[in-house]
Amino acid sequence: MITFDIQLSCPGFSLDVAGEFGDGITAVFGPSGAGKSTLLNCIAGSIRPDSGSTAIDDDPLFASDRQVWVAPERRRIGTVYQDGVLFPHLSVFGNIEFGWELISESDRRFDPFELAEFFGLGELLDRKPSEISGGERQRVAIARALATSPRLLLLDEPLGSLDAARRGSILNYLKRVHTEFEIPMIYVSHSISEVVSIASKAMLLREGKVESFDRPSALLLGAAVAGGDIDAFENILDGVIGESTGQLTTVRVGDVDISTRHQNKKPGDRVVVSLGANQIILGATQPENLSARNIFKGRVSEVWSSHEMIFVEVDIGQKFIVELTENALNELGISVGNDVFLVFKSSSVDVFDA
Amino acid sequence: MNSDISIVALSLQIALVATAVTLPLGMFVAWLLVRKQFPGKFALDVIVSLPLALPPVVIGYALLWVVGTNGWIGQLSESIFGSTLAFTWLAAALAAAIVSLPLVVRSFTAALAGVDPRLEVAARGLGCGPVRTFLTITLPLAYRGVIAGVLLGFVRALSEFGATIVVAGNIPGRTQTVPSAIFTRISAGDTDAAWRLALVSVVLGIVALAIHNWLLKRSANGIDANQPNGRAG
Repeated sequence: MITFDIQLSCPGFSLDVAGEFGDGITAVFGPSGAGKSTLLNCIAGSIRPDSGSTAIDDDPLFASDRQVWVAPERRRIGTVYQDGVLFPHLSVFGNIEFGWELISESDRRFDPFELAEFFGLGELLDRKPSEISGGERQRVAIARALATSPRLLLLDEPLGSLDAARRGSILNYLKRVHTEFEIPMIYVSHSISEVVSIASKAMLLREGKVESFDRPSALLLGAAVAGGDIDAFENILDGVIGESTGQLTTVRVGDVDISTRHQNKKPGDRVVVSLGANQIILGATQPENLSARNIFKGRVSEVWSSHEMIFVEVDIGQKFIVELTENALNELGISVGNDVFLVFKSSSVDVFDA
Repeated sequence: MNSDISIVALSLQIALVATAVTLPLGMFVAWLLVRKQFPGKFALDVIVSLPLALPPVVIGYALLWVVGTNGWIGQLSESIFGSTLAFTWLAAALAAAIVSLPLVVRSFTAALAGVDPRLEVAARGLGCGPVRTFLTITLPLAYRGVIAGVLLGFVRALSEFGATIVVAGNIPGRTQTVPSAIFTRISAGDTDAAWRLALVSVVLGIVALAIHNWLLKRSANGIDANQPNGRAG
């Protein structure tokens, strides 16, 4: 558990935030300039706040009233930056090994070679960071941070410099890191889609202040209202390739089999599925005679509405978020607990390697 | 010829000692100027650069005051060694160090500024202390510029004349360097001997500057590019 209460002011910007993050994946979310990265830097110890306190469990890292300040190198907090920030003069393995060599043997939880294998970097160990792809660099960055056996992993827009195909892959690695290595994470992002996909709780920051701290999907409207650099919402889900017939491939997501365009993959391959919330049609009755290949019955589990936007969460054995207009919501009379039908085309679903 | 060799040897000795002073001092000053914000930063920059803008004779004269019988360094060395530093080869080395320091600091500043500070932040986060971070991350990434700066400072120290002759004199076998020996020989009309040493100066200068430029060109060409990211994707 990490607790913080941080005040920092610099010309043109001030940060005043407090919170308590559990051992899951917590997202810190908000538009550019909200103070997300600054908060992360304060927790990592690369920026010293003007006042306040920070602690992991009962171990204080910073307490202005008691003059406590733990240097960043003694905090055992791993950070992954947007573009990796790998050491350009060291090989892939040299990067992974860098922090591992600095901790005492009794603190070492992971073997650097095993980490390299876990992240699919076994073939690249002798390469320089400039000789590998952006997605590979980001995997090295995560492995490098994990090699120090951190008590907490900070992720500062880790997908920010990647294209859609690689984003899904890294997101999946991060989920696996969390479940297999049980390391608490703080995930900074301006993409609500990523936040909903990965985090169990999310803090919405705006102009250096906490606007809300809730389940990620509860922040959808706030995120949409914050506007600006926030993308259209995508449902990002883990899936497994099933049968392929003709031009279609089935992907199993949760308890649901989704039809997608034909994928050149074997049954059983792990994938990440992405489906825009505005690509899904919602029906109050069973639709018939449609060309769309995906029609599922489900139940409305949540509705968030404001004048700007409306989102509906529907559980069809897997929760999907659907974007609606106000007119549609009123005409269909949709409210929580209603049975509805979700309709989307197989071509609306993007499938990426996990 | 024998005296030529001993003059060159003494010059090299003085320049080496001067470089041994400017390397750590210049590195510390450059690091302060590049990475730290503090009151008086502008003044430090001006003071370190001042020898570039002053006649070396003025520096020599000022140094004479400091290391002579009345100066605090002079009194300190007199109480320890029984004599002042004035008119010793150490005074020549000190003069050469002060005159070459601005060049060294400028080169080091450029070299350190070329290292992405986020790499240092990342290293600290991985458990690496500040000194070790400097030695394992910053220095290896800045080494071309650092070596270039050392070479530039070294040749400047080798060619130092104005400040040296004021504070250390021109005593054959004790403080006579290549430039001051050339001056003596020209004054005495011994042109052949003057040309011999002049040639040595030219060769040393060309070699050092050629290496200096080659090192800087290599880093400018982006070989071993000091960027966290090479190609995108």
